[in-house]
Amino acid sequence: MKIQIKNLSKSFGDLQANKNINLSLDSGIHALLGENGAGKSTFVKIISGQLTPDSGEIIINGKNIGLGSPKDSIKNGIGLLNQDPLDFSNLSILESFLVGINEKKPFRKIKIIKEKILDLFKIYGIDIELSTKASSLSIGERQQIELIRLLYNGAKLIILDEPTSAFSLDQKKRIFETLKKLSNEGIIIIFVSHKLDEIFEICETGSILKSGELIATITKPFDSKKILSTMFESAEFHKSHQKHLERVDKFKIIFSKNDLFNDHKSDLAQNYTVGSVIGIAGLQGSSNDKFIKNFFSNEFSKTRIIKEFGNPLKIENYYYMPADRLERGLFKDLNLLEHYALAFSAKKTFIDWKTIKQIAMNKISEFNIKSNLYNKLSELSGGNQQRVMLSLMPDIESVLLLEQPTRGLDYNSANKIWEMILERKNYDIAILFSSTDIDEIWEYSDIIFSVSGNKIMDISYKDNLTKESIIKFVSGLA
Amino acid sequence: MFNFDNFKINLIRLILTLFIIFFTLIFFGISPFEVFESIIYGSLGSESKFIRTLIVWAPISLASLALIYTFSAGMWNIGIEGQIIMGAVGATFIARSFLGEYLISPYIQIIFAILFGGFWGLLSALLKVRGNVHEIFSGLGLDFVASGIVIFLIIGPWKRDGIASTGGTDLFHKSSWVPTIGTFNFPLMLILIILFLYLVSYVILNFTSLGIRLKSTGINVLATERFYFKSDRYIIFSYLIAGSIAGIAGFSQASGAYHKLVPSISGGFGFLSILIVLISSRNIYFSFILSFLFSILIVGGSQLQIRLGLDNTIIGIIQGTFVLSWLVLQRIKIENMIIQKISRIFFK
Repeated sequence: MKIQIKNLSKSFGDLQANKNINLSLDSGIHALLGENGAGKSTFVKIISGQLTPDSGEIIINGKNIGLGSPKDSIKNGIGLLNQDPLDFSNLSILESFLVGINEKKPFRKIKIIKEKILDLFKIYGIDIELSTKASSLSIGERQQIELIRLLYNGAKLIILDEPTSAFSLDQKKRIFETLKKLSNEGIIIIFVSHKLDEIFEICETGSILKSGELIATITKPFDSKKILSTMFESAEFHKSHQKHLERVDKFKIIFSKNDLFNDHKSDLAQNYTVGSVIGIAGLQGSSNDKFIKNFFSNEFSKTRIIKEFGNPLKIENYYYMPADRLERGLFKDLNLLEHYALAFSAKKTFIDWKTIKQIAMNKISEFNIKSNLYNKLSELSGGNQQRVMLSLMPDIESVLLLEQPTRGLDYNSANKIWEMILERKNYDIAILFSSTDIDEIWEYSDIIFSVSGNKIMDISYKDNLTKESIIKFVSGLA
Repeated sequence: MFNFDNFKINLIRLILTLFIIFFTLIFFGISPFEVFESIIYGSLGSESKFIRTLIVWAPISLASLALIYTFSAGMWNIGIEGQIIMGAVGATFIARSFLGEYLISPYIQIIFAILFGGFWGLLSALLKVRGNVHEIFSGLGLDFVASGIVIFLIIGPWKRDGIASTGGTDLFHKSSWVPTIGTFNFPLMLILIILFLYLVSYVILNFTSLGIRLKSTGINVLATERFYFKSDRYIIFSYLIAGSIAGIAGFSQASGAYHKLVPSISGGFGFLSILIVLISSRNIYFSFILSFLFSILIVGGSQLQIRLGLDNTIIGIIQGTFVLSWLVLQRIKIENMIIQKISRIFFK
C-alpha cells in the first residue's frame, strides 16, 4: 500500500491549521511531531475523514479517495486509534466487535467472527476472554483490542493519536510489540506523539509540523537536540538548574502506617526544609494522585503535614490543583474574571469588580495567559487552562498540591509551567506534585516518594536515588 | 452586569419568535392581527384590565425570580409549585386566625408565607444534600403532597360553614386582602415588594461572592472545594431563598387574586416560570420582562372567546409556539448573523 498526501490545507476562520502539506508513505512506523497546536490533530482528522480539507488530495495506491468521509477512509483501509478508547464500556469484547465491524448481518455469523477474532488475538499475543466487558479491562488492553478491530476491518494504514498517555510501562511495552509486528507485516503506522523517547524507540521516519506546515522530515538515527530546536523555535533547552534552598525552617510529614509498604519507614517523618519540592512518582493507575489530593481533603488516609513554626496550617494554606482541569479544577462556563473573583474576593461579601479586574490583568500578564478577561474557560487551550489554575494560587504562604501539573502539555509549555512553579520555592511551605513521568519527577524534585499500587514504597532524598531505582520502586519491586 | 450584546440578541430573537407565531396563526386560519390586538386590548386596554394583568404578573415574576436562584445553583426546582402552594397555606392560616380582621394581617401573612414556602424548599434541599434524592423527584413528590394538604384543608378543617366543597374556603376578611390604593385597587404593596426583591437579587447575583459561588456551584460541584467552600451550603441556601420568594407568590395568589384558598391556588404559574427562566437563560432583566409578556398573554387570552369567538386554547398554542421556537432559535444561533448583516447595512 502507498499513501500520498498532496497540498493538504485547512483553516478555521483566521487560523491556518494545515498549510500545503505533502507526505508520501509506503511502509514502516512514521512519527508525527509538533508542539500543542501545530496542526497534528487536524491532519490526522483529515486523513481519517472526520474533517474535510479546504484543498488537497489523498491518493491511495494511485486512486483518489473521497475526502471528509469516514466511511470512505475506512473502506480504503485507514484506521484511527484515538487517544482514549472509543469502545462501549458496558459491552463485552465480542459485542463491541459485532457493532463495529465491516460485516453484513454480523449476528448470523457470530461463530465465524469469533474464530477470526481469536485467530487475530493469537497472532498478537492477546489472552482475554471474548465475554469480558470492556469496562473491566485496563485502558491499554482496550486500546490493544481496538487495534485488533481496526485490523479485522482490513486497516492497512493505522494512525495512533497520542496513544500512550494513559498507559502503564507494561501496557506500553505490549502495544509497542504489537505495532512492530504490524509494521513487519507491511502495515503503515503513523504515530502521533510528543514524547521523544517513545518515538526514538519505535519509529523509523518522521515529520515535524509547525504552525500547520510540514517543516522537516527526519529519519533514524534521530538527533534529539536538532528535533527539539526545529519543533520549538525560541525555546531554551538548558534545563533549569535547581537553586540551592537557603531556607532554614522545617516541616514534617506524619505518615499513616497504612500508607507505607514497609512499616519501619514510618520514622521517616523527618524534618524537611520548607520550600522543598516533593515528587510523588507512580505509574498510571497507582495512587500517587490520591496522595496529593489527600493532603487537601483528608478522605483517604491520615498522612498529614505539620509545620514546626508559626501558625498551624489551615485549609486555606493548601492549594490543590487536580489533573483533570475542567472536570474538577475550573468552571467551564465562568469567564476568567469570575474565576479571579472566586479566588481573591471570597472573604468579602461584596465583590469589588474594579480591583478584581486589576488583579486579573496582572495575573494574565504574569502567567502569560493567552486570553481576555471575558473568555469562558472552556474556550481556552489546555496549556492556558493550566496556567489559569496556577495563577489562582493564593498569595499567602502555601502548600501546593499539584496533580500531574504538566499532563497533556508539550515540552515547551511544560517547561514554562515548571518555571512558574519553581518560583514559589522561595516562599511556599512545600510543593508536592505527582507524575507518571519519571523524568519529570527526577528533574524537579528534592525529595521523591515512590508509589506502587496503594502504598508508598520508598521515601528518599533525590541525592540518594537513581532513576533506575525509582522505576524499580514504582513497578512494585521493593 | 448589563450586557448590551446579549440584550440585542434577545431582542432579535423575540422579534423572530413573534414572526413564527404570526405565521402559525395564519396557518390555523386565524388573523394574527385580530388575535394580537384583542390580547393587548384584553390585558392593557383599561385600568382595571391592567391591574388584572399585574395581579397575574406578581406570582409569575416572583416564581421566576425564585427559580433564578435555584437554577444558578444547578438545581431543577420542580418543587416550585409546592412552594407557592405552601406559601398560600401560610397566608391563609393567618387570614383565618384572629389576626385576619386587623389591618396588620397582610404583613404577618407575608412572614408566614415566607416561612411555609421556605420550609418546603428546605425539604427538597435537605433531601438532595443529605439524602442524595434527585431534586426533580423530591420536588415533584412535594408538589403532590402540597396539593393534597390544600384539598384536605379545604374540605376538612377550613371548610366553608355548613358545606364542604372543593370551591375553596370562605372569602378572607377585607383587612386580609392585599392592600391596594386608588379606585382601581392598584396593588402598590405587591409591586413594591417585587421591585425590591428584583433589585436586591440583581445586586446579590452580580456583586457579591455569594452570587458567584451560587453560579459556580451550578457549573461544577466538584471544583468548589478547591475554592474553599462547600457546595451543599449554597444548594440549601438557594432553595431557602427560592422557597421564600415562591411563598410570597403564594400569598399574592391567596390574598391578592382569589381572596381565599382554592385547590389549584398555584395556577400552574410555577411550571410556567420554569419555562420563562429557561428561555431567559437565568437573565434577571429578561425574566422580569418575559414574565410580564406571559401575563399579558394569559389575561388577554381570556378575551379571545368573548371578542373573537375563539377558544382560549389558542393561548396555549401561542405559548407553546413561543417557547419552542425560542429554544430552537437559541440552539441555531441565527441572531449573530442577523446582527452582522444589519450592522453591515447601517454602519458601512
